[in-house]
Amino acid sequence: MSRSGTYFIGLFGCFALSFGVAVLAPHLQLGPLSPSFKEEDGQISEIYPVASTSVNAGREVYVSQGCQACHSQVVQGPEAADIERGWGVRRTVARDYLFEAQPVVGASRLGPDLTNVGSSAWRNEPEADVHKPAKRDAAWQLLHLYHPTAVIRTSVMPAYPHLFEKRKVTGEPSPLALNLPSDLQPGPGYEIVPTAAGKALVAYLGSLDRSHPLKEAGAIAKAPAAKK
Amino acid sequence: MTEVASHTAANPTPEAGHAAENRSAIDAAVRPVVVSLFLSAVGWLLISSLLSAIAALKLQWPGFLNYSFLTYGRVLPAADGAFTFGWCSTACLGVAIWVVSRLSGRAAPGVKIASFGAFLWNGGVLLGVVSVLLGRLRPLNGIEFPLGAFFIMFVGLCALVMWLAITFRAGEQMSLSMMFVVGGVAWLGWSLLTGNLLIELGAVRGIVHQIVAAWTASGVMWLWIIPVALGAAYFLVPKVTGKPIFSGPVGRSFFWLYFITAGLVSASRLSGGPVPLWIVSVSAACGILMLVPVLGTAYNLLATARGSGVLGASPSMRFVLFGVGILSVGTLLFAASGLRSFGYALHFTMFDFGVRALLLQGGATMVLFGAIYYIMPRLSGCEWLSSSLVSFHFLGSAYGSSLGSATLIVSGLAAGSALGDPESSFSQVLELASSYYWGRTLAYVLLFAGYLAFALHFLLMSVRIGQPAGEATLLRTQNEH
Repeated sequence: MSRSGTYFIGLFGCFALSFGVAVLAPHLQLGPLSPSFKEEDGQISEIYPVASTSVNAGREVYVSQGCQACHSQVVQGPEAADIERGWGVRRTVARDYLFEAQPVVGASRLGPDLTNVGSSAWRNEPEADVHKPAKRDAAWQLLHLYHPTAVIRTSVMPAYPHLFEKRKVTGEPSPLALNLPSDLQPGPGYEIVPTAAGKALVAYLGSLDRSHPLKEAGAIAKAPAAKK
Repeated sequence: MTEVASHTAANPTPEAGHAAENRSAIDAAVRPVVVSLFLSAVGWLLISSLLSAIAALKLQWPGFLNYSFLTYGRVLPAADGAFTFGWCSTACLGVAIWVVSRLSGRAAPGVKIASFGAFLWNGGVLLGVVSVLLGRLRPLNGIEFPLGAFFIMFVGLCALVMWLAITFRAGEQMSLSMMFVVGGVAWLGWSLLTGNLLIELGAVRGIVHQIVAAWTASGVMWLWIIPVALGAAYFLVPKVTGKPIFSGPVGRSFFWLYFITAGLVSASRLSGGPVPLWIVSVSAACGILMLVPVLGTAYNLLATARGSGVLGASPSMRFVLFGVGILSVGTLLFAASGLRSFGYALHFTMFDFGVRALLLQGGATMVLFGAIYYIMPRLSGCEWLSSSLVSFHFLGSAYGSSLGSATLIVSGLAAGSALGDPESSFSQVLELASSYYWGRTLAYVLLFAGYLAFALHFLLMSVRIGQPAGEATLLRTQNEH
């Protein structure tokens, strides 16, 4: 066989090895995963995770705005400090992402991890921090997206005014109108309301909660996580 | 047995004994496609640098250019795509076409097909960058372009590869340069197709999407761009210095070890994530193992060049050897970051970006510059106009890329250790990381200065404005050959 024949066979071998180990083997290992559930007296309950399409529109906004460039959706195990930071009660595992096509794990952490941002126990500040937001509900998230520093003084997140519109108040003010501090008020007779994309994004953020216990994810930290 | 001094100007054997007329006939045949690839690559280099600079400034001033199509989350992947697929890959394609034709001693007819492929490739990249800025992106690090963009790029690549396959002739023994370049081209086509199909056809589920994406994106860097850069270095160093490769057989062993290990390092940036632990360990182990072929190849090249009087004077050698040195440093840092003691937190900081910038912007890019400095005079029939512009380009890009990567790496290390420490609040982590960003902003000023000098010089060269042919433009008063 010619030298180049040997070369191409060797090259094919390298490619096959790489594909076999780095792609095929994890696929074979994780492919058969199924949701966890509880079975009692023939009754199946507590199925997790469940396939849901209700927040897909918001997920698309999240991806399209590039949120994943700064926000991860991965809680690392006890070796990291993620759980102490209040980002989750346990580490995330492959089963958490079972029904997500192209899970949004994120590229870096220029902002906090959002794996469980929809959970009421989620926090990003030390527990004793007096400036900690009392709650992060939909109204808070909307205000934060519109003008981050209005709610988190030190925030480095850019504002997303293009997810909102300024409109004239006709009749009753909209229940979704932002409750803005005086220096950000849109002017008398006007209100700032989220666009469809803004609403969908906040609904998606509110849905993010991967704290359901899973045996492979290890022990569940007491929520809120204990801190020295 | 040492690799024969095939490529020396004095002893031009292995370009296999092809006479000088034959070489200039090949150069004339491939000129349209290679120059257009280089020209578009230089355009992408400027576009990607501009986008990266915007992203860097946004980190310091979040409100800077706050338009929906320029949010940080879109500018960053657009800049990365324009750099990886626009600049690095397009320049690599130009180098591959020229090196393969020269080493095969012929240029297949139908160069127009290759030119059409180059056109499609660029069209695909353009579609990708614009789509990302308009918000049509995938949450897959390193391959954010939508499928349509990759499809067009792939069709263009097929046209280029078809032409290359007809041109390819191995001869008695494949040279190291040919091995690296052909291996890289084969990998790119195969991995872009396989990776994108697996992701888009729903063949895999859940987190495996990210494992496949990491494999595809990692391959673009480790098994396409870097091998072509090393292949170019293996071609240029013996050519310019007039000396045979220090050790051919050892170089070959390193080639195989490199292709085996580099194909297995893809999961390293998923470490600490929801993926099987074994795959992260395999990546970490192969990252360390990969040091042997990378450092070995770098030594082989340096040993070839050592003692030759042209090192300081030849523009291409200065760029190529600097790039090879930086590739070694980058691989060393990459290997170290795989160690568990470095901490999981590191992989979500600027550290990974810094190592990637070091490898691509400091390493591969500099080798590609060196290759362009060598190739263009042969295609244009004249020499580079000004050695001062070359020096200016070298200083700007060398200092700029080193400073930029160093600040990202240091900022990542600082943020990583703070992120792993529950005592420091998240705002403290960010504050710590951001105290280094000024270095990156300064780095972009240097890079822009260097790149603009190069772009200007390149434009002049492509319209054949330069020194008369014959005497190479040297950085000092020494003769290249």
